[in-house]
Amino acid sequence: MGMVEKKKIIIDTDPGVDDAMAIFVALRSPEVEVIGLTTIFGNVYTTLATRNALHLLEFAERTDIPVAEGSHVTINKTTKLRIADFVHGADGLGNQNFPSPKGRQIDQSAPAFLVEQANLNPGKVTLVALGPLTNIALAIQLDPEFSKKIGQIVVLGGAFLVNGNVNPAAEANIFGDPEAADMVFTSGADVLAVGLNVTHQVLLTDADRDTLAQSGRKFGQYMSKILGFYYSYHHDSYGVQGVYLHDPTTLLAAVNPSLLTYTEGVVRVQTTGIMRGLTMFHNSNRRFEELTEWSNKPIVKVAVTVDAAAVVKLVMERLMNS
Amino acid sequence: MESFGDLNSNSHGHLEIGGQPLSKKEKVIIDTDPGIDDSMTILMAFQTPEIEILGLTTIFGNVSTEDATRNALLLCEIAGRSGLPVAQGSDEPLKRGKPRIADFIHGSDGLGNISLPPPKGKRIEKGAAEFLVDKVSEFPNEVSILALGPLTNLALAIKRDSSFASKVKRIVVLGGAFFASGNVNPAAEANIYGDPEAADIVFTCGADILVVGINITTQVCLKDSDLLELRNSKGRYAQLLCDMCQFYRDWHVKSDGVYGIFLHDPVCFAALVRPDLFSFKKGVVRVETQGICVGHTLMDQGLKNWNSSNPWSGYSPISVAWSVDVPRVILFVKELLMKP
Repeated sequence: MGMVEKKKIIIDTDPGVDDAMAIFVALRSPEVEVIGLTTIFGNVYTTLATRNALHLLEFAERTDIPVAEGSHVTINKTTKLRIADFVHGADGLGNQNFPSPKGRQIDQSAPAFLVEQANLNPGKVTLVALGPLTNIALAIQLDPEFSKKIGQIVVLGGAFLVNGNVNPAAEANIFGDPEAADMVFTSGADVLAVGLNVTHQVLLTDADRDTLAQSGRKFGQYMSKILGFYYSYHHDSYGVQGVYLHDPTTLLAAVNPSLLTYTEGVVRVQTTGIMRGLTMFHNSNRRFEELTEWSNKPIVKVAVTVDAAAVVKLVMERLMNS
Repeated sequence: MESFGDLNSNSHGHLEIGGQPLSKKEKVIIDTDPGIDDSMTILMAFQTPEIEILGLTTIFGNVSTEDATRNALLLCEIAGRSGLPVAQGSDEPLKRGKPRIADFIHGSDGLGNISLPPPKGKRIEKGAAEFLVDKVSEFPNEVSILALGPLTNLALAIKRDSSFASKVKRIVVLGGAFFASGNVNPAAEANIYGDPEAADIVFTCGADILVVGINITTQVCLKDSDLLELRNSKGRYAQLLCDMCQFYRDWHVKSDGVYGIFLHDPVCFAALVRPDLFSFKKGVVRVETQGICVGHTLMDQGLKNWNSSNPWSGYSPISVAWSVDVPRVILFVKELLMKP
């Protein structure tokens, strides 16, 4: 009996407090092998995302994992970006003044790295996309076969039949680059979208944070420190006694798909107007009299339910086991 | 116990039960694109003693505006209400040119292609928007509008008279799909899609608005067995409506696999007369006017304190139907349709 092959994972990320948590959980999940991090703007600008990715890997003593820097602008070359520093702190990690990382990113760009890895391990790489989808859209532009060669793309993004978090229509990652998101959703790749309708069910409570702080474990204590800013934002904006685990939930969906259920259909992204960034799902069982913008487009998976208690338990365990 | 149908109106237009005056009859204008379920609703409204219909205004949608006017006149004549004003509305949306007509649902004449004769009467000279403004000004805070089609006429009334929104009592709208798929495409419901610019003007005008979307109306289905019961009833318009409904019913089978009909317009009418059969949530509603999701209705549920202003900020919330007591609404509809 041979060992089960570990699932190869690349995390496209804009760390970000919950990104940091997702990265740590991934590094401490025996089911998967993290083969690289690619960076993107969103919670922070791309340059800072790269710096934070390097810092997190150094903290975890995993400098063997390459970091490839991603796009600094949207797929349409827009430089006017929405950066969520009011959610994650000016440094993206809860304003903790961490020292600069010693290492640096690889020379390859994120899209080039993604294309190369998909070619090296066709059908075997799971891409966990925790920020705007610019790098992935660029990879698709770089290599038209990318969507076929990448294994699965698990996307944290969208708000399906619920309000967004940037405004009533749009979720932050999709809002960050709606054109890129529409390209990825209609690319024909095996996409699983995990939206706010699911991640808002997964709450790490104030008490859970105390448990992390008192754990005496390296990752638990680190997370408890950087979570302060994120908790304040949640208290003020949502009136909840806890924080939503957007990124860790999405990461765990890649590690263990049975934590979620999903439905299938076509997803398109609104790219103009007051609802720019809206994700619109079309249930393939529903027929319309006329052709629509959703007709004849590839189908993706959209998460519907999540075992929230199991996700929180896994996150806590993996941050506290030594 | 007094039931709905036992209410009598006295000569002053007041309702009485056992000599006790009830509230004054509610004045209603129906803005409509008949349309089979519109026809059902108009004839139901004529059978409802609690309301006084001031007139019908017509709009495109299920049929062209001209055909909507013809059908409205015909329905009034069938009901012995030839004197009722029918004011013709806009023949196209505010900005989008020739409208989309749903003749594949209602038949080319809008009434199920059952060869009805043309009406004898004529519409009034006044256009729909002018008629709406005049009636609302004549009876400030007394007139409710039941809007069963695209909202062009109402938007034009709002543009015509800046005090319209504050003078209208209530606007009850059939339109939108709230946190649910549309029926034209995944994003849009037909009435809103018919004139998204007008819908956005109406929803943000500040009036007291109640909107019933297809997320609600598609829960309420009159099944084949109900239609048979209706045909065998002594309802004053039962035969006519059952004849009309055949085309509509066959489309439901083909399109949705539903052996029956959705009661879009009658459910909206129920929300006007019997709001107690629904629950509502309040929130600002905007309509997308651009891109692939044009016509999408999106409500801010108020679950988050937005850290900066957005296109929903600063507008008055409206009431969005959130749940419906399906059996009681069906009962309400059937009682009116089977009323001799």
